[in-house]
Amino acid sequence: MPQLTSTRTLPWYAIPWVVDGWRQVKRYPLFSLGILIFVLVIPAIFAPWVAPHDPYMGTLSNRLTPPVWQDGGSMEHILGTDKLGRDMLSRIIYGARVSLTVSLIAIFVGGIMGTVLGLISGYFGGRTDAVIMRLVDISLSIPTILLALVLVAAVGPSFGTVITVLIVLLWARYARLTRGETLGIKERDFIARARVAGASHTRIMFKYIFPNVFNSLIVLATLQVGYVILLESALSFLGAGLPRAEPAWGVMVADGRELIVTAWWVSMFPGLAIMLTVLSLNLLGDWLRDHLDPKLRNL
Amino acid sequence: MKLKLASLFTGLLMVLAVMFGTVLTPGSADAAQVKRLIFASAGFHESNRFWTIARPDHLQYEPYWETLVGMDPKTGDPIPQLATKWEHSPDFKDWTFHLRKGVQFHYGYGEFTSADVVHAHSLLVRKDSTATLGPLWRTVDKMETPDKYTVVFRFRNPIMPPSMMFAVQRSGDLRIASKAQWDKEGVEGLDRRPAGTGYFMFAGRQTGLNIVFKRNPNHWSGHKVDFEELEFRIAREEATRLALLLSGDVHIGDLPRELHKDALARGLKRFQSSLAVDWVSVYLGGQWHLKGHKHFDPKAPLVNKKVRQALNIAIDREEMLKSVFAGRAELAYLSLWIPASEGWNPKWESKFKELYAYNPEKAKQLLKEAGYGPGNPLKFQIWVFVEPGESEGPAIGDALAIYFKRIGVEAEVQTHDWAKIRTTYRKYLSKNIMWPNIIGWRPADNGVRNFYYSKGNNHHYEDDFLEETFGKVLKSNDAKERDSLMRAIGDHLQEVYADIPLFWFRNEVFANPKVVAEMVYPGPAAGRTSHFELIKLVK
Amino acid sequence: MQRYIAVRVLQSLLAVLVMSVIVFGLARLSGNPIDVMLPIEAEQEDYDRLTKYWGLDKPLHVQYVVFVKKALQGDFGDSLKYQGQSAMGLVMERLPATLELAGFALLVSVIIAVPIGVLAAVAKDTGWDAAAKVVALLGQSLPAFWLGIVLMWIFAVWLGWLPSSGRGGLQHLILPAITLGWFQVAAIMRLVRSSMLEVLDSEFVKLARVKGIPEWKVVWKHCLRNAGIAPLTFFAIIAGVLLTGSVVTETVFTWPGVGLLVVDAVRSRDFQVVQAVVIIFAFIFILCNLLVDILYAYLDPRIRYQ
Repeated sequence: MPQLTSTRTLPWYAIPWVVDGWRQVKRYPLFSLGILIFVLVIPAIFAPWVAPHDPYMGTLSNRLTPPVWQDGGSMEHILGTDKLGRDMLSRIIYGARVSLTVSLIAIFVGGIMGTVLGLISGYFGGRTDAVIMRLVDISLSIPTILLALVLVAAVGPSFGTVITVLIVLLWARYARLTRGETLGIKERDFIARARVAGASHTRIMFKYIFPNVFNSLIVLATLQVGYVILLESALSFLGAGLPRAEPAWGVMVADGRELIVTAWWVSMFPGLAIMLTVLSLNLLGDWLRDHLDPKLRNL
Repeated sequence: MKLKLASLFTGLLMVLAVMFGTVLTPGSADAAQVKRLIFASAGFHESNRFWTIARPDHLQYEPYWETLVGMDPKTGDPIPQLATKWEHSPDFKDWTFHLRKGVQFHYGYGEFTSADVVHAHSLLVRKDSTATLGPLWRTVDKMETPDKYTVVFRFRNPIMPPSMMFAVQRSGDLRIASKAQWDKEGVEGLDRRPAGTGYFMFAGRQTGLNIVFKRNPNHWSGHKVDFEELEFRIAREEATRLALLLSGDVHIGDLPRELHKDALARGLKRFQSSLAVDWVSVYLGGQWHLKGHKHFDPKAPLVNKKVRQALNIAIDREEMLKSVFAGRAELAYLSLWIPASEGWNPKWESKFKELYAYNPEKAKQLLKEAGYGPGNPLKFQIWVFVEPGESEGPAIGDALAIYFKRIGVEAEVQTHDWAKIRTTYRKYLSKNIMWPNIIGWRPADNGVRNFYYSKGNNHHYEDDFLEETFGKVLKSNDAKERDSLMRAIGDHLQEVYADIPLFWFRNEVFANPKVVAEMVYPGPAAGRTSHFELIKLVK
Repeated sequence: MQRYIAVRVLQSLLAVLVMSVIVFGLARLSGNPIDVMLPIEAEQEDYDRLTKYWGLDKPLHVQYVVFVKKALQGDFGDSLKYQGQSAMGLVMERLPATLELAGFALLVSVIIAVPIGVLAAVAKDTGWDAAAKVVALLGQSLPAFWLGIVLMWIFAVWLGWLPSSGRGGLQHLILPAITLGWFQVAAIMRLVRSSMLEVLDSEFVKLARVKGIPEWKVVWKHCLRNAGIAPLTFFAIIAGVLLTGSVVTETVFTWPGVGLLVVDAVRSRDFQVVQAVVIIFAFIFILCNLLVDILYAYLDPRIRYQ
């Protein structure tokens, strides 16, 4: 009779209820969700109540005070102050708001645009498909950063400019994804049945095909929020990002870049905020992808 | 297996700890072996066509292309260089320069003569020329060369000594290039390997990276430079330049004021130009107060004198000086003038203390009188920009916004690039905007023409009094008369709060103390940092 | 097949043409280069003179036609900022540097990503898998310029192991390449991992195992070879992304490549250079896509008949 049980000794922490509990915990991406909520969602929504100081005002004589655990730091400004004496913690909290707003708007609008165009392209095929796919090609081949630089040079930095640039960049990926999925789905039986039953094209696209594409879209969107935040900070670095007045994380890192060695906290903490946010979003997106639709490995 | 990994990890940690624990000192570079002295620059428009390059970027020509008149490194006074003597006609329209004999161009292009001066001038007035002093050089009616060593400039209008010296000294752009080279190789020769007469010779350039110069063994002065080669390395990021200095990769570099304290703390040595070089003021759009001016809008926020006064006295200049400029600047009592300028009035200092003293309460009062208040706040934009080597713009803008907010003004800071700002104010679209600008020193009449006179293109502040007074200055060639007219102009500008004057500052560089012992330079030279030939290395 | 290729080529050319119009329009819209070229002391006559000299006084569509005519001959005009050098010449001069950086960055990311991906696939769902994922994702979460400056500070100043800027030998490449390449590690790793997982399960791998071939041989020889096709598409896209991602990295490390060139060009409103760079990049990207599409059509006949 072959041995069915293992003869390895269990490690000390393998108490049954701990293992069970851990298995339950591993089911959900608690780690990333936790970080996300702490770093992004709570600050973004509750900023005015959570931030200790006004993020826009500071006293010049207070400038560049180090974080509380260093020489010269104080509880007044836990994470220190920036070049103009503004409280870092408050600015980071408000910055969550800005980053989130910009990315959500850009992804939402770009996503809707891209999804609709992708559905149309995949469903109708033929010339429409060719035209839309070429537009996608063109859109993807425009070097984003250059486009942003030139646009900002023309129109000036503002929320609108940055969001426009992001939308131009983002919609193409949704279109491509949706089209790909639509191509696969439209040959399926239940679509044929719907057509026989007399459903209009629009109805088929939005009631039948779209829900099947939805999962992939969610994964893509989650992965893109992080990317958008990074892109915004890169644009700010090059001077083509959000207007200075806003405490956006990217602007903060760019502002502190010459001080990265001396007053490291000016760049470090916003940079850390970006990193944690994007990391947890990526982990979340990964988890979503693995659990919602393994076919999406190529994203 | 796990044990091996653990010990490996611990070992690595120990090594890292030791390394991180070492004191950060500037990288050791053995001075005796410094063959090539490297200067890290924030960058410049790279081209050898000097007639298309603006003055501050003439840094790249400093080592090899000389000018007629030199500049004393401590006082900035004119000293003989390629010209040994000079004089002017009584009406100041003809300027004669007696040239030094026996000066040889690099790379065997022959002796320097008056023909080369005429040639250099002809380059500055070409169709594609964007030279800083182009307008001045175009007013030369005729260039004469009575003999090989004499050249005469015949100007259409009188040119006073301060302006002429400014143009022909190391502060100007009349670079003496070899006519023989141009005749033989055309502009391509100049692009490839330009021949000059300087203490160094152009050895090569890699765009985006560096320029290299070789010591000229046969310089006419006989002065022996301490090092064989000189390199200007382009490093536009501030943190990068500091990194380069600390790692010993470069020996001299300029750093923004933010980093001065830290650079000094880590042992770098600071050298300062002998004279003040640039000033920073905040210019206000909409100041086109000429009668019948078609773009003037009397309702624009910044054209009311009370508003300008309020904004000026809302700023705590001392605090800004200590913080944003780390104390490395001096108060400017008004824009453009320094004591050596034409028309300087010693009373400006005391008047400044009286008119521009920090008084936020009075500022609020003035705004109320001008019709602004909590229900009707004053609103405008502050446009800031960053150029290589001039990084304080955003910090100034942000600081001003905070001061203004305290008196109830809503000032929105926006970053634009210089091109956009310039186009905007040039086209009279700037009535809701103010912008801080760092400008290099120039003779007062040059400055007034460019900034406060309708024929200039900057329109910082114009009104009928200035038009009339400066018109008289242009026609006059009596030094005393001009002095009093210029003084009147300065008085007027200070009294009407034409702009927001802030500070004057010198040019400062940091050097590796193990390599560089001494560095003296005046500051107003075209490239700001200059006189590299005088640098003494540690023995 | 020929028809498919012909159609795709035509479409690609159209794409490049549209790009050129967009870039041309945007560049002109962004402002007047004369304002950058002239010093503040310039007067109105200087503006007029230079505008005429550079042909900027002609109406936009005339300028566009001139531009296209010359571009077809490979002449993108003269740089407005670097006088005396042609825009194309400048781009060509700086392209090798960017390609070198992008290539090396790709190499670095592959060298890091492939072993991690294989490890993650083989040790699926264990702690190693999760750790590998986090390491890879870390690269995608850091702002590139921040990473660059921190790396520069640690390795060039603190430790003094590597130079902090400029281009020279291998040691100059390492920091910029890591900064640029780490971003891609996650994506490549994920791709390798999933491709490996697919193949690891397949029939002939089981056969190889039954035949008694050692495990490591199975993994590397059989699986990787077959898993290599999927990343092919990916590389085309990555190439494009790396080329543009290099803008930030080149700025931090003063790497004299095309990215830095174009940032300066936009700032100086040097239209000709901006146009040249964007169009060349777009051309490369569209060309890569075209080649990949044709390759796929060759491999998978179904696509041709759409």
